[in-house]
Amino acid sequence: MNRAFFVMIFAGFTYAVINCNVAEAAESALAAGGEALETVLELCGAFMFFGGITQILERAGATGAAVGLLKKPLRKLFGSEISDEALGAVTMNLSANMFGMGNAATPMGLKASKLLNPDKRASAPAALCLLLVLNSTAIELFPATVVAMRYAAGSKKALAVVFPTLISTSVSCIVGIVLCKLCERRKSR
Amino acid sequence: MILWVLAFAVAAGYICKVNIYEAFASGAKEGLETAVHILPYLASMLVAIHVMRDSGFLEKLYGLMSPAMGFLGLTEGVTPLLLIRPFSGSAALAVLSDTLAQYGADSRTGLLASTMMGSGETVFYTCALYLGAAEVRDSRYIIPVSLIAWVAGCIAAGFFFR
Repeated sequence: MNRAFFVMIFAGFTYAVINCNVAEAAESALAAGGEALETVLELCGAFMFFGGITQILERAGATGAAVGLLKKPLRKLFGSEISDEALGAVTMNLSANMFGMGNAATPMGLKASKLLNPDKRASAPAALCLLLVLNSTAIELFPATVVAMRYAAGSKKALAVVFPTLISTSVSCIVGIVLCKLCERRKSR
Repeated sequence: MILWVLAFAVAAGYICKVNIYEAFASGAKEGLETAVHILPYLASMLVAIHVMRDSGFLEKLYGLMSPAMGFLGLTEGVTPLLLIRPFSGSAALAVLSDTLAQYGADSRTGLLASTMMGSGETVFYTCALYLGAAEVRDSRYIIPVSLIAWVAGCIAAGFFFR
């Protein structure tokens, strides 16, 4: 991120000098902070609303239900080599992710990562690769933050993206799993 | 529609004997914390985006990326999100917020950007964090596979909003 920020600012600066509009760019750069504050104020209401709903569903046992549903398919996916404890952590991590509970997902993910590399090998074992790919393809059932932002931006159909998100996240997830399995097969030959 | 979601959650919570008032308040607190947490990142990101836009660099970048984005079935307006999403969640939220403001939330670009935001993750950060915990140094194929999967998800999003 550090490098990305540098590239963005520097590219912008270079272009401003070339196009001779340094003053204009400077003015709008200064305005950015205020604009950020306004945006966050607009976002607050929607964030709190959806945060509240998510929390109710979570306490009503949504994650628990997901854990029950996911356990068997995940055992198939990860194979029989990983321990029950590791599988438990993996399941909790992915279930929390499904409900957009990043705060709950990260500690479980860290625990799962440790358990998936019990021999402390320097090169990532297959199961750990799979866990990371599943985490970075983000299976989220309801994109609460995005919907909240759409409301804040004055959308008339804020929920129109829920179904497309579900499909495209499933596509990225399946592509990720297939590629993982292909990479492992090529290696074992 | 949104009232239905609220009613459903409250009813489900009530039936399951959840202290719904307490739960909603604690969720709202988390939401507020998220909002406060992203503010500094939003400000930093907006500075970078504004400088890039007003200097004319973003236009140039759009021009360069335009054929590739067209090939993927995406609009050039989602270029910044496509590039920043794998690096940082807060930055991506900032970019999404800017995109929605620029193009309108219900425009094709706005709908696309919203869908893309939900179908990806911060690949690099997650990897660094989890691999660090597992004391792994060689990430093997994780990064390229995750990035390919991310682009595949974006292409899928493109199919919905032609």
